[in-house]
Amino acid sequence: MFEVRGLTFAYPERGRAALSDVSLSVEAGEFVVICGKSGCGKSTLLRHLKTVLTPFGRREGEVFFDGRLVESISKREQASRIGFVLQSAENQIVTDKVWHELAFGLESLGEKTPVIRRRVAEMASFFGIQEWYEKSVFELSGGQKQILALAAVLAMQPDVLILDEPTSQLDPIAAEDFIETLKKINDEIGTTIILSEHRLEGVLPRADRVAVMAEGRVLCEGGASEVAWELKRLGDPMLTAMPTPVRVYLALEASQALRRVRRGSTERLAPPSFGSASLSVTPCSASRLRRSTRSPGFSSVRQVPQTVREGRVYLEGKYAGRGVDGERGVGGDEPARNNDGATREPIIEMKELWFRYERDGRDIVKDLALNVYPGEFVAVVGGNGVGKSTMLGIVAGDNKYYRGKARVLGFDPKKADGRCLTDAGLAVLPQDPQTLFTRATVFDNLIDVATAHAKRRGEPASPEEIEAEVCRVCEMTDIVNLMGFHPFDVSGGEQQRTGLAMALLTKPKLLLLDEPTKGMDSFFKEKFSAILKRLCSDGIAVLMVSHDVEFCAKYTDRCALFFNGGIVSEGTPRKFFSGNSFYTTAANRMARGLFHDAITAEEVVALLL
Amino acid sequence: MIGHISENRSIFAGYHPLVNYMWFAYVILLPVFFMHPVIVAISFVPALAHSIYLGRRRAARFGLCFVLPLMVIAALFNPAFNHRGITILYYINYNPITLEAVIYGIVAAGMIGGVVFWFVCYNSIMTSDKFIYLFGRIVPAMSMVISMALRFVPRYRAQIKRIIAARRGIGFDVSSGKFIERVRSGGAILSVMLTWALENGIETGDSMLSRGYGLPGRTAYSNYRFDSRDRTLVLLLAALMSVALFVCVTGLISVVYYPMFVMESVSPFAGIAYVCHGAVCLLPLALELREDAIWNMALHGCGACAGRQEGVPCLK
Repeated sequence: MFEVRGLTFAYPERGRAALSDVSLSVEAGEFVVICGKSGCGKSTLLRHLKTVLTPFGRREGEVFFDGRLVESISKREQASRIGFVLQSAENQIVTDKVWHELAFGLESLGEKTPVIRRRVAEMASFFGIQEWYEKSVFELSGGQKQILALAAVLAMQPDVLILDEPTSQLDPIAAEDFIETLKKINDEIGTTIILSEHRLEGVLPRADRVAVMAEGRVLCEGGASEVAWELKRLGDPMLTAMPTPVRVYLALEASQALRRVRRGSTERLAPPSFGSASLSVTPCSASRLRRSTRSPGFSSVRQVPQTVREGRVYLEGKYAGRGVDGERGVGGDEPARNNDGATREPIIEMKELWFRYERDGRDIVKDLALNVYPGEFVAVVGGNGVGKSTMLGIVAGDNKYYRGKARVLGFDPKKADGRCLTDAGLAVLPQDPQTLFTRATVFDNLIDVATAHAKRRGEPASPEEIEAEVCRVCEMTDIVNLMGFHPFDVSGGEQQRTGLAMALLTKPKLLLLDEPTKGMDSFFKEKFSAILKRLCSDGIAVLMVSHDVEFCAKYTDRCALFFNGGIVSEGTPRKFFSGNSFYTTAANRMARGLFHDAITAEEVVALLL
Repeated sequence: MIGHISENRSIFAGYHPLVNYMWFAYVILLPVFFMHPVIVAISFVPALAHSIYLGRRRAARFGLCFVLPLMVIAALFNPAFNHRGITILYYINYNPITLEAVIYGIVAAGMIGGVVFWFVCYNSIMTSDKFIYLFGRIVPAMSMVISMALRFVPRYRAQIKRIIAARRGIGFDVSSGKFIERVRSGGAILSVMLTWALENGIETGDSMLSRGYGLPGRTAYSNYRFDSRDRTLVLLLAALMSVALFVCVTGLISVVYYPMFVMESVSPFAGIAYVCHGAVCLLPLALELREDAIWNMALHGCGACAGRQEGVPCLK
């Protein structure tokens, strides 16, 4: 269907090529996932598959669609046959009504009303949109908007669907629904799907083929198992983005193979294989293998477990008895990572809080109680729309509770108006850091905040001192090389860091974070957590609301589950997640049969080795 | 929107937008251009009734608190500032108050009040979809532009709110600080809004291009179909309207306010015109009431019962 041959591309006035010598072919009916850390050239590659979206720049190589050069295909044919779904659902919806959005593409193609009526009806029925068919786009949730964007493209009956990180703005449950819908389209309609993604958990088991990109090149390509082994062999950092079962499996198998090698066995490290057909997977052989790996009889690469179910079967099959009736585990109750917290004065104290937005509305927050101590990193997790963000609003003084008692930084947030709390040391990093930027460069934005706060604290700082302060924070958040850029021109993760730097320049004692890991790739999450750890060691309290269970398990000091307006359970990540059986990490669910309290992939591996 | 009854429940709103539009054009424009006291009076009552039917208590409160004072002011202002006319009633500060000006003021007040109430109905019946559809018929590109604008306005409003909240979170509060600081803060928000709109507009543009926007021969789709019910109502309305208009335009009824109030209003023709005009004004409301009666019959077995809302038991 698509064939990319030797594609090299560089944006104007950028030295480094965004794509170098990329070759990739996609066959009709395939579900192909392209992954790689942000900035690796995924989007640039996808945009070359449709002429109207191709960026300007220096370019070599060819792209064929159905055996024809893509540039030679008329715009009309491309518009209808090559569907493209972009990252932000909010931005790509053009009209104000759901039905109009569905019809938009068909109107462009000049279809007559009866044709449009039928296709729109089909789409609405296929996606279950009937309920909100006549609604305003404004009333839809994020997940519904992305489904609408997908349906609007699909209404034009494309042969291939290209999606550029479609789930990066969605919460995990909506993301999972979206991927499930894609699989349904792929299975039931046969539409070819090319998807770029950094959240591999849900995608990997559903993909026919995975291509990993790094620095503008295709690093490796093939079935999920082949790619996993190849990444392990290369020792590539992309491995950390793989789903937990894959990481656990590879770590265990590789170390066993290593042990066998040490014992003098001649078996090669990767990949362990059945029978005599021992092959090392390279990009070219991987694509040859592709067909054979789909039919299990001829599998030459051992299948890597990709889902929790497969991972659990693998672990229980291989390590039965190692877990010893759930007694053996990580061991005891770990000391609170911050054990002097309880003796100190809490920085946030909330007791029996009640809140609603309107007088006649329902209570969003009911009987909420939570304390946060200095130097603590606390995460509040919970489903969508349960009121987690509302709770942050109460702490920040935006939402005035109507019953109960609260104390934030020594103030009652209900009575704190204007700058009272922020002057006392509160800083909030909003979900969308773009809302913070008012100046044309990253540097100016930071200087603005630093100057305003120095003045407010009444310490007349010289421009040099302010600059030194800005530089210190920039080094800490690793944005020194972005200083001259416009904040809208840097990547999502970099915007997040710039926003964090702005928040830090207010010299906060308490930092509130609203879904900070949304849209972050796994590499940056590690970096981000390191920054937060450092803040906590300086005595700053961090309160985060998040959907990201894996992130919370790995990095926080305390987790709390928000449900039905209040905190239902809380504890150290280990206690918290090992006590849950559904709302917990993939590693915990996977190793449940062996150990009751292992919550990260690393812990499971460490226990089994 | 003031409309209390949702679009789905209003029967007249369910007719084709062209029918809605034709009716509104007539009932709003005729009293404006032909300020005959009887015509104005005949318009006013159904306008009030219809807006209260659609908006219930909120419409009644709106009428009492806003429209009524507006009408009183209009009725008082004209004689106070307009001294034309020959029948002088009395003097205030050596300024003559004339009977003609008083009458004109009252009729104008009635006209303004009626039009405001019609617009209240217009607001709840003519949704953006219908408006877009009608203008799309005239200029196809327009329908999309309006639709995009309607999408952007609430989006921008929400984003401004988000920016204000976000900036308050790092200590830039628009509602506190010195005046200069606040102005600067407001300016900063506007500038970031502009950047944000342009930046995100690029992706919107990509999405439009990707779905073939700009190809020649674009059509405009709508959910509406002109059915037999619409045809019947259009024919009926057209007949009634043309009779009323004919009588008005040919001068069979007429009114002169200045210098002396002269009204040509009592004749068989005039009577026919009043009946037709009244029928046009009342027809949609009559359709609503008939439909309510049918539903009440079905739900309660009683056509006259006042319980329009589901779940209200019949009192019979």
